[in-house]
Amino acid sequence: MKNPNLPTPASVYIMNAAMGNEKKLDLEQIYVKYRSIVCFRVKKSLGVYNPDCDDIANEIITNVIEKLKRGEFRGESSIGTFIYTITSRRIIDYIRKKSKVLKHVPEPASYPDPHEQVENKERAETIAGAIKRLNPKYREVLYLYYYKELSREEVAQKLGISPRRVSERVNYSQKLLKKMIRK
Amino acid sequence: MRNCKFEGNIDEYLMNRLTDDKKNEFEEHYFNCSSCFEKMVERDELITAIKYKGQEIFKDEPATEAVKGETSWGKIMAFLTPKQWATVAVSATLIAVLVFSGLLMLKPPSPQFFINEDAVRGGKITLISPIFEVQTVPSQFEWQRLGENAEYRIYIYDNGDTLWQKTTKDNFIVLPENIKKTLASGEKYSWQVKAFSPEGALISVSSRVQFKINHPE
Repeated sequence: MKNPNLPTPASVYIMNAAMGNEKKLDLEQIYVKYRSIVCFRVKKSLGVYNPDCDDIANEIITNVIEKLKRGEFRGESSIGTFIYTITSRRIIDYIRKKSKVLKHVPEPASYPDPHEQVENKERAETIAGAIKRLNPKYREVLYLYYYKELSREEVAQKLGISPRRVSERVNYSQKLLKKMIRK
Repeated sequence: MRNCKFEGNIDEYLMNRLTDDKKNEFEEHYFNCSSCFEKMVERDELITAIKYKGQEIFKDEPATEAVKGETSWGKIMAFLTPKQWATVAVSATLIAVLVFSGLLMLKPPSPQFFINEDAVRGGKITLISPIFEVQTVPSQFEWQRLGENAEYRIYIYDNGDTLWQKTTKDNFIVLPENIKKTLASGEKYSWQVKAFSPEGALISVSSRVQFKINHPE
C-alpha cells in the first residue's frame, strides 16, 4: 500500500544504540502500522466525538516520519516508545491549549454512538446480533461487566462464580462472537 | 501461544479504570505490542456494540438484575472450565488405574485359618502330575504337600463321575492295577485332591485338573 502523503525516501537508516549497528527502518511500514495505534490513542484521550482527533493523529504521524528522516530517532528506545512519547506530548499540548480556551479539560473518552459512522454502526449491529445468539450464561456476564460496568469481583459475586471465571467467560464469549461473525 | 502479561489491563484501560501510572505504562506497552493492540481493538468493538445496542441486546435478560441463585451443582461446575474438567477427569482416571494396578500387585495371599499347629486352612494344593497329556496310563498321582500332618483324599473323575477315591498321608498315591485297567487310552479324565486336618476338618481343595491318555504310537 503506497501512501501518497509519504515523500521519498521510503526508508531511513538509524544507528541502533543498543546493538551498535545500523538498522533500516521502512517508513511506509511504520506509517501503516502506527497510524491506527496513534489514532486509537488520540481518540481515547480526546474523545471520539472530538472533531480534531483525525487532524491531531495525522499531525502526529507526519511529525514522526519527519523526525525519523531527520535522524532524531537514535535507537535508544524502541520505535514504539519513540512514537508513544511524541503522541503523548502532542495530546498534552492539545489539552493545555484547549484548557486555556475552555477553562476545563475534555472529558475522558466515552463509548460512542457510532450513528454517524456507517461502517462502525454496521459492525456494532453485527456484533449485537451475535451477542443475542450467545448462550445466556455468556450474555449475562457481558451485560453485567460491560453494560452495567460492574467490577469483575462484583460480577463474580452476583453469579456465584470466581472472578477468574468471569474473565474466562468474557474471553470465551469474544472467541465465540468472532466465530459467529466470521460465518 | 502464551498470553502477554499486559492483556489483563485491556478491559480496565478501555473502561477507564486504570490509575494514571498504570494507564501510561499500558499505553506505552500497546505502542510496542501488536498482539495487545489487536486484542484491545477487538475488545473495544465489543464494548462499543454493547454500549450502543445494549438496551436492545439485553431487553429480555431475565435474571440479570437479581443476584443469581445458582444451584450448588452449577457452582461446582462453574468453578472450572469444561477443558479443565476434562483434564481433571483424565487425571482421576489415570490415578484410579494406577491405584487399582498397585492394589492388584499388592494383593495379599488367600486368607489362612489356623486349625491347630499343623493344619492350616486356606493353603493351596498344587497338583504335580499327571496333567494335560500323558503317553501311558499313569501309575502314580503326585501333588505338593500341605503341612506335616494333613491327610489327603484323591478323587479321580471320569466325565464328572467319581471313578475312584483314596485317602493318604503322603503327597502321592500309587494307582491300584484294577483301577489302572479302567483308564482307557485316548480318553480324558480329571483328578482333584482335598486336604483334611488330623481331626477330619477340610482345610483345602485343589483345582480339578484334566489329563488325557494319548493313544500308543
